[in-house]
Amino acid sequence: MRPQREYHIVVLGAAQFVQNVWIESYDPTIEDSYRKQIEVDGRQCILEILDTAGTEQFSSPHPPSYTGRFQPLSSRPHADVGSLFRELYMKQGQGFLLVFSITSMSSLNELSELREQIIRIKEDEKVPIVIVGNKSDLEEDRAVQRARAFALSQSWGNAPYYETSARRRANVNEVFIDLCRQIIRKDLQGNSKSSDSDRKREGGKRQDRRKDKKRQNRRKGPCVIL
Amino acid sequence: MQEPMKRHIAPLKIEKGNLNFHADLYYPFQHHLEMSPPLTPYGIKDDSMEHTETPRAVFHNYLRAFYPYHPSGNVSPSTVTLPLDQGDIVLVHSVHTNGWADGTLLDTGARGWLPTNYCEAYDQQPMRPLLKALTDFWDIIRGGCGFPLNDAGNQDLVRGLIAGVRYLLQKSECLTRDCTLVTSHDGLRRNRKALLADLSSLVRTTKRFQEVGSSSATQEEIDYMVDEMLLKAFRIVTRGVHFLDVWNEEVGLSRTIAELEQQPAHHPGPLASAAETGPISEAAASEADTERNESRLMNASRLDMSRASARVDDSPQTRPMSVTTKRISISHRVSTSGPAAAVRNPNLASERLNSAYDAFLGVLGSFIGLHLQSRSSTELVVTTEQAVRSCRALLTVVEATCEHDPQGSGLLEGARDTMYERLSELVYAAREAFRPAHSPDDELVFLPDEGKRLVDAATDCVRAAGSCLAKARLMLEECGDFELDAMPQELAPAPSAVTDVNKTPQPQRTSSLPGNQNRPQEASLRLPPPPLQIPNSINKRYSPPTPGLTDDTTPSSFQSRAGASTPATDMSSFPSTNLLSSSLDKLSFSSHHTQPIEIPHRNSQPKSDVSESFGRGVTSNGSSFTFNSRLRDSEMSGVSQTSTRATSPDIGNHYQVPSLKGSISHSTLAEENEETEANILEKTYAHELIFKEGQVMGGSLRALVEKLTAHQSTPDAMFVSTFYLTFRLFATPLEFADTLVDRFNYIGDTPHTAGPVRLRVYNVFKGWLESHWRHDCDNSALEFIVGFANGTLMGTLPSAGKRLAELAEKVSKVHGPVVPRLVSSMGKTNTATAQYVHPDTPLPPPILGKKETNLLKQWKNGEGTISILDFDPMELARQFTIKESRIFCAILPEELLATEWMKKSGSLAVNVRAMATLSTDLTHLVADSILQLEEPKKRAAIIKHWVKIANKCLELSNYDSLMAIICSLNSSMISRLKRTWEVVSQKTKTTLEFLRGIVDVSRNYAVLRQRLQNRVPPCLPFVGTYLTDLTFVDHGNQALRNLPTDEGEMAVINFDKHMKTAKIISELQRFQIPYRLTEVPELQAWMQNELVRVRSSGEKSLQTFYRRSLVLEPREAPQQPRNMQPESSSSSILENAKDKFDFLSWTHPSKAKSVATNG
Repeated sequence: MRPQREYHIVVLGAAQFVQNVWIESYDPTIEDSYRKQIEVDGRQCILEILDTAGTEQFSSPHPPSYTGRFQPLSSRPHADVGSLFRELYMKQGQGFLLVFSITSMSSLNELSELREQIIRIKEDEKVPIVIVGNKSDLEEDRAVQRARAFALSQSWGNAPYYETSARRRANVNEVFIDLCRQIIRKDLQGNSKSSDSDRKREGGKRQDRRKDKKRQNRRKGPCVIL
Repeated sequence: MQEPMKRHIAPLKIEKGNLNFHADLYYPFQHHLEMSPPLTPYGIKDDSMEHTETPRAVFHNYLRAFYPYHPSGNVSPSTVTLPLDQGDIVLVHSVHTNGWADGTLLDTGARGWLPTNYCEAYDQQPMRPLLKALTDFWDIIRGGCGFPLNDAGNQDLVRGLIAGVRYLLQKSECLTRDCTLVTSHDGLRRNRKALLADLSSLVRTTKRFQEVGSSSATQEEIDYMVDEMLLKAFRIVTRGVHFLDVWNEEVGLSRTIAELEQQPAHHPGPLASAAETGPISEAAASEADTERNESRLMNASRLDMSRASARVDDSPQTRPMSVTTKRISISHRVSTSGPAAAVRNPNLASERLNSAYDAFLGVLGSFIGLHLQSRSSTELVVTTEQAVRSCRALLTVVEATCEHDPQGSGLLEGARDTMYERLSELVYAAREAFRPAHSPDDELVFLPDEGKRLVDAATDCVRAAGSCLAKARLMLEECGDFELDAMPQELAPAPSAVTDVNKTPQPQRTSSLPGNQNRPQEASLRLPPPPLQIPNSINKRYSPPTPGLTDDTTPSSFQSRAGASTPATDMSSFPSTNLLSSSLDKLSFSSHHTQPIEIPHRNSQPKSDVSESFGRGVTSNGSSFTFNSRLRDSEMSGVSQTSTRATSPDIGNHYQVPSLKGSISHSTLAEENEETEANILEKTYAHELIFKEGQVMGGSLRALVEKLTAHQSTPDAMFVSTFYLTFRLFATPLEFADTLVDRFNYIGDTPHTAGPVRLRVYNVFKGWLESHWRHDCDNSALEFIVGFANGTLMGTLPSAGKRLAELAEKVSKVHGPVVPRLVSSMGKTNTATAQYVHPDTPLPPPILGKKETNLLKQWKNGEGTISILDFDPMELARQFTIKESRIFCAILPEELLATEWMKKSGSLAVNVRAMATLSTDLTHLVADSILQLEEPKKRAAIIKHWVKIANKCLELSNYDSLMAIICSLNSSMISRLKRTWEVVSQKTKTTLEFLRGIVDVSRNYAVLRQRLQNRVPPCLPFVGTYLTDLTFVDHGNQALRNLPTDEGEMAVINFDKHMKTAKIISELQRFQIPYRLTEVPELQAWMQNELVRVRSSGEKSLQTFYRRSLVLEPREAPQQPRNMQPESSSSSILENAKDKFDFLSWTHPSKAKSVATNG
């Protein structure tokens, strides 16, 4: 039996992408609540999902204030230039889910900043990333057209884009499998000792090919986007 | 709790396709079996019968469904229910207090929950040995002690079943094929044949099994064979039951009729004679414990049974004998209900209470049973006397308990007085019904009409006794059990006397004949009824003993004869009349008693409220239902830590009690109470609660409020605090207040509980106003509360109304809680939770030399600059800790609800956000202090200093500052400074790596959580983990839960979500205790200035830092290995795993391992 692989996945973005929502009583304080086992191409992978939900205000910049107490400002811009606290997570991550809510355009706009931070920290343009448009069950409230998301995907070197519904458990596993596949491929490339630039070029090509296929699939029907 | 339960429950593993049973339909759900039974309340006969609980490991009983039960869909998704058809036999593993039983359907081997009120106990005497054998068989195979393959006992097991079948055939006179019965009744012949075929099949399987067992067989094969054997055993019992049914139909009935015609000749049929002799007493002795368990169940279902009988009469062709056999089993249970009491200290009040209650119920049971039919006057005298006698035994205990009542609340007195009333009514009814004996003959009978009154009176007695028992237990729970010293003999016969008599009824059984002709004591019984003195006034204390027949010289045989009414006596003495009446009188009985029968079903008593209140304190031997003790225990542990500030009034206590008393006596005086008494607990929303493992998982608002103000038990502390903390998330303050007032009002329908419930409602209001009032949103309810206080409450509990009105007045004027909250107690050390530090212990002196003081002075005057290097790391860590702790302790629980701190505008979570800001400032200060220096060596020195400070923060258990510093040192703008890290000493790097391991995010902060778990304050936990947890609890759990009801699904509040939230918040609050450290104002001022300085660069600060980092150490060629950065990213782990192995072993043990195995 092949040894189990264990990967750290970092979930980032505005929309909380809660795992295990289907269980009757979700307790996030236990260790296992952030672990997930999936099968990728016949291989068992353990994913440890790191999520900074709820700590967005830690180590994020804020407007000046001389009172010593934080003053809630209604006009406070939410865009994080970068959070040092989040970096702790990012450093651990091998793959990244960048989640926005299809009901909020600003949540999509925040992703670019996050990606920049990831690339800066990982010092890698081709870090495994999947873009996730969550809350696909709220189609009637959609604020982000798919074309917008695809455009973002293209500008990020064709990072795969999925629309999911965490609440309905739609497409969630697919997201993790895709990301996991990317990480595995990257691992293998790392082992092959190819030079950095070669690897990048080659990896990029392969990813492009795969993603072209994927995109075709996506466009064929709603099998991916639910 | 799961482990033993699972072992115990293991359902049949039936292989698909091998057997024709459809058990595999249910098999997939086996993992649900450990969950709690459905919450459909069980119809309860009186409000206390089922409350006695004795944890028992194994409880076996057989039930027979007399209604079909086919739930439409599962009662709840986590519950497996067992569909029943009329006549199905079920092996019961346990009966939950709510009336659901965990049982295995013999027909299919399927296991699940079934409603006991759809069933009757199946305990037909001729079947008993067979049933017992099956029970043993099950115990060995499924009992969990492992199944010894080559155990010689296996053979015995099958032998037990064989003997059981033989006994059955023998008793039914069908032992051989040539028996007259067998040859003359085709149905019997066929069933007998099938039964024997099944038996031989089992014997064959067992033989094969033993052969396999001695050879080598896979566990799977063995499991399969065991299951096969068990199913075959089930099949045998099912056949046996069917056989007996046919026998009863074809033989038993005709015999009974024949016997009736032959009266008074006594020729008890085989069943009756069997009941009369050996097996019963044998079983009674050997199974005393089990029987005792069952006795309550039997008592409880007594009323049900009469209804059932009526039903059976409607269709006599289905199971004509069931009526008779039921009577047998009941009486039998009653007769053996005594012995088990001997195990415990019989002088304990609770013990006495239980045994007296049991005895009284037994007497009343037979009283009802006897007087349903026309009886001789003599018997009436005897049974009435017996009833009074045993009632006195009960009342004696109750009296004694009353005296121990610590508060003199009058609760029990009320119940006791009612009991007296009911008893006197019984006696009057008996007197009315009695016809003075004109002739020495005993043949005079009274008419059914009078019988109705008698039975009504007796039924009322049952109810009153139940109420008495419940109150007495409540009292015992409150004041603690006590030992009754020698009971005044003349006041009442000790309950043991009754039970003793019950123990030895055999002589009378065998000697007594129909019509009681041969009883030597008969003469004395023919006397006119003695003047039984029953207290007429409810206020009168207990009266002196009744003379005449009740005196102690009454031969014991009388007592047992008349009172105990063992099955044998019933059957043997009056075989004909008994059978006749049971088949003929049933209709009238059931029509008389639709009322008492129906009440329990309407009551729909919640399962847990009551039981939990009796679960502790009272060592009950009553043992009505076995229950899942593990489930209960978990609930009880919660209950035992009750008495919160909110529920135990500290100020108002003294004048509340009298007012409560007043209300009680007022209500007991009211005559119309008789009506409402019957409807005790009728109004309840307890069916709108969802439980799991004893915890409330959800419920409607009114049901949750009901639970919050339950009269039976003090509410769970966690439940109460959760309610106060989170109710605004599922109800408006006005709705909450309104529901409370509604509760206050509707409980008035049930006088005996109204007092404590109303007091609790008041207490909830009081606690809310005093400690949990939120001026920002609760003020909308203030007017309503004032209205309630001055209106309804003032009218019922004047002093409470006054107090509440005053409180409301105060609240409207004061801003902030009237009574400071316990948790956020700033400025004082809570010695209860914190490490004990004597208050006089001097604070540690600041580590601040003359030089530092001077530097600070100069800085204050605007001369010179200072850096962190000028101060001792410990002192800096202390001052950061003081600063941070102050904000942390100020966090209010409501800031943490519903991700309030995440709100983009108008957030109330000022302190949480201040915490976040301070952390951010600190990380920026660290980065700034490093990046402002040009030389790598100087930067390295600063890094070293920060690592030291971080280490001191750890010493102080300040995980929040530790996290902030590590965050910064870990950030790419610092970690990329290769030349700087080159000159950082290895020692510093090692320390840093150690600290990094503590705040590692891996495995959901496993290291950090572990450290906090057993941490004693003072401590500053990292707030981020709480915020993440709270966010996920909020997002990962639905606001509502679905509760299946008769009318479809009902969406109720997901209280579990709020409990989880409250639990996390209470964890955080646990640490809200200030540090004992000396503040250095000058140093604080400088630190504050520095923090503000870095903050002032605002949003751009990080970009500025990063640019600065690039300027200081420009990017190098990308192909250079980055192995100088100890914290370099883990994605490239395979490239430089060896370099980092040592470091990573701190942070990723699992990954390091996988690397090792891979490489």
